[in-house]
Amino acid sequence: MRRSKDKVGPISKFWRVIPLLVALAVSSCGDQPGVSKTRPAVKTFSFAMDQAPTTLDPVQGSNVYANFVIVNAYDTLYTYQYLARPYQLKPNLAVDFPTIAADGMAYTFRLKRGVRFVDDPCFPEGRGREVVAEDLIYSIKRQFDPKNQPQGAWLWQGRIAGLEEWKAAGSDYSKPVSGLFASDSHTLEVRLTRPYPQLTSTLAQGYSALVPHEAVEKYGKELGVRPVGSGPFRLISYDTARIVMERNPNYRQEPVDLAAEGYNPATQKFSGVEILAGRSPPFVDRLEFNFINEPSASWTSFTKGDEVQLTGLPPEQVDRVLATKHPVTLRPEYAGKYHVYAGLEAGFVSTAFNMNYPEFGYHPDPERERRNKALRCAIIKGYDWEARNNSWYFGLGEYFPGIIVPASPEFDPELSRASVTRDVPGGRKLLRDAGWTPDNLPQLVYGTTGGATERLTFEQFRAWMRDIGFPREKVVQKTYANFGDISRAWKRSELPLVAKGWGLDYPDAENTLQLYYGPNASPGSNDANWKNAEYDRMYEQASIMQPSPERTAIYHRMNQLVIDDCVAITGISRTRIYLWHRNVIAIPDREILGGFWLKYVDVLPVSTASGGS
Amino acid sequence: METLQYALRRLLAGLPLILGVTLVSFALMVYFGPDLTYSLLGKNPTADQILEVRHQLGYDQPFLQRYLGFLREIVTLDFGNAATGEPVAALLAKTIPVSLILILPGFILGHVVGLLLALAAAHWRGRWPDKLIMAVAVLGMSVSFLIVIIGFQIVLSSSDGLDLFPVRGWNSSSLGSYLSYVTVPTLATMFVALGYDTRFYRSVIVEEMSRDHVRTARAFGLPESRIFLRNILKNCLIPFITRIMFSIPQVAIGGALLIESYFGIPGIGKATYEAIVTGDQPVLKAVVSLTAILFVLVVVLNDVLYRVVDPRVTLR
Repeated sequence: MRRSKDKVGPISKFWRVIPLLVALAVSSCGDQPGVSKTRPAVKTFSFAMDQAPTTLDPVQGSNVYANFVIVNAYDTLYTYQYLARPYQLKPNLAVDFPTIAADGMAYTFRLKRGVRFVDDPCFPEGRGREVVAEDLIYSIKRQFDPKNQPQGAWLWQGRIAGLEEWKAAGSDYSKPVSGLFASDSHTLEVRLTRPYPQLTSTLAQGYSALVPHEAVEKYGKELGVRPVGSGPFRLISYDTARIVMERNPNYRQEPVDLAAEGYNPATQKFSGVEILAGRSPPFVDRLEFNFINEPSASWTSFTKGDEVQLTGLPPEQVDRVLATKHPVTLRPEYAGKYHVYAGLEAGFVSTAFNMNYPEFGYHPDPERERRNKALRCAIIKGYDWEARNNSWYFGLGEYFPGIIVPASPEFDPELSRASVTRDVPGGRKLLRDAGWTPDNLPQLVYGTTGGATERLTFEQFRAWMRDIGFPREKVVQKTYANFGDISRAWKRSELPLVAKGWGLDYPDAENTLQLYYGPNASPGSNDANWKNAEYDRMYEQASIMQPSPERTAIYHRMNQLVIDDCVAITGISRTRIYLWHRNVIAIPDREILGGFWLKYVDVLPVSTASGGS
Repeated sequence: METLQYALRRLLAGLPLILGVTLVSFALMVYFGPDLTYSLLGKNPTADQILEVRHQLGYDQPFLQRYLGFLREIVTLDFGNAATGEPVAALLAKTIPVSLILILPGFILGHVVGLLLALAAAHWRGRWPDKLIMAVAVLGMSVSFLIVIIGFQIVLSSSDGLDLFPVRGWNSSSLGSYLSYVTVPTLATMFVALGYDTRFYRSVIVEEMSRDHVRTARAFGLPESRIFLRNILKNCLIPFITRIMFSIPQVAIGGALLIESYFGIPGIGKATYEAIVTGDQPVLKAVVSLTAILFVLVVVLNDVLYRVVDPRVTLR
């Protein structure tokens, strides 16, 4: 039977459709770009994050990934100036800085009027109501309600009057807290149990974000995936691969004053941020947070040109991309397409000796304790910070003596660098003089999570210890399956050496000095379990002082005590390198508050992207 | 009716399997899984706060009580909320369809093309097409999946390569978008799957070709095409069905962790991985139970299909 030319069989139809499908596929490629091709009016900023947040509920906003979203979905009373480094606090939802009583025991905060939560079904008729002082009281109370598994209570525990009592009485939200009082709808009075100079800084943190009780009552635990705030953006989708937020159309109009944001033309002009002056953020319609664990995938997406517009620099690309490291500059083929910025982290990495271990910590025998100190000091002398910096941080980190990090305003650049300068003969001599021999040296157990990098870090440490006389078999690695397990070991004081990083919660050296405060011993943050009466006394004295040269001097003396007692091998602040497309106007950051700078990002059409170096 | 009775019997017989799988996996989660206590605590926690969090997490309950709670969740299909706060049911409802439409093209094409290549290899057994196909199959099996993914991304998606498809992301709102996002993952999946599938199908076909009844059919002078369809391919169906059916649970629940992770696709594989890393027990419990249930269903369906393709098989 002959087939008619006009009739087309199903198989033929299928083959005809193939080219069409391929054409469709190819033509639709790249429809998820920064500036959308399919929706040119939607200005989008799409960027890579190396991890997804675990929850978006401020009550558990403990990490930088969560805070990237939280501080954009919610309002906090304070935030940080966009461009000032070191970081400078500025009012956000607050009208200005608080009025502080002469004795430092009472604060008065005034909130801006007319600020509304985003429209959401949790409100009557779906229309967001005005943000009031009671919302902050409610949000702080949530941190003291065990049902929420809160993680931010430590900020106000023992500081704001009445919170512990409120919790002990059953966390009943209808009951007042003696130290938190709204004198009118937009004024909050805070009474303290003792002066707390960092109180204002704590109200910049994601933990203090203002959450409407209506949202908590309607969504319960689901608030963790559907934030309802009054921030510059509102969430429109959340999955394991990315979060998408869109501009809050009702966000208050507050034109950018570059000088007030700490703009430094000498170092920041290249970014093009000058065009933001006088305009009200947010400047993009849509934010896309892409969770990309694999640096190579992030890099491929970034260099494609129409996907993520901001990424960190993968280690394997450093030599290929950078022309120089001091300062960080790009090779010409990249400099034409991207901006680069290298910023020191607001935190540090160090290794504390757990003083609960009599092998090298506290010992009932004073003579042995003296020898233990010599042992710790010898280990510090054997540690090679320069090699570590070159091996793991491309030589771009800044290693420094003590525990006051360079990002703290109280950092002392003049401090002797002896404790971070390798001195193998000195270390050997210390051991020899204290009677340590390869036979009687104690075992050093170095705890890490599993992984090739951790193994290499340990092997490097073991090699340094061998240089000062430790037998190979006396430096051993103990691996943990994951971060949760090693955290448990730290908190239970089960590891003799505690190697970990610490990110500043606020730019004040108190935040790192408390790591060695005696009462903060395990399970607190004093992993070293170091107890020094003089240090503790100075900490208590300084902790109620407002910033001043006197307080800074106390901080410096405390820092010196940590160094002199050889309590920790410390420390290094890593440098983070960011690259972003030249049509994106931004100075990226991820320190302290995470994404507080995102509302200032602007994206220009590619053809009009400004130059710069 | 007989088939239905058989299916019900087998489903009941599968209950011990589900209980066993859930018990072992739950014990592993409880005794070897991440301890979330210290991840959920703030800085400087007191001993009371630690106990509080352990209580909230249910860690202070006896194992048996926790396991019975898990069984209740399976029966009611209510696994509570994930660590993010999202109900687990909503998470699964959102991610499983994504994984299905992500993996299905590669799954189907991998088997179909693998079968066709296996047929060709078997037909020209020992000759150059056979050797060529087997060499490519071994290559597919030998190269790490990770390398294949990165290689395909660079060649097909990156600005250094052909730049034809997105590097990452997911959008299935239109056929065009779907094809653009699914093509590279599908090709990568096929490249690896083809190696295993082709070798498997070829060995089954070759074994069947050398059986006595095939030789006898040839001696009777039956046409090759008829011998192939009736005497060879039909007898191959049972191992073929077994292979295909038992890969279904992995496709439906396991998703494709690496694919989803590298291509930024919000499927169940990525959700499971995140749950493992963060110790999100509600999600893990749901995935483990659903996988066990799906396996039981697949086993039953597999047996029923045996009967369909070969009436000599009895369902007892």
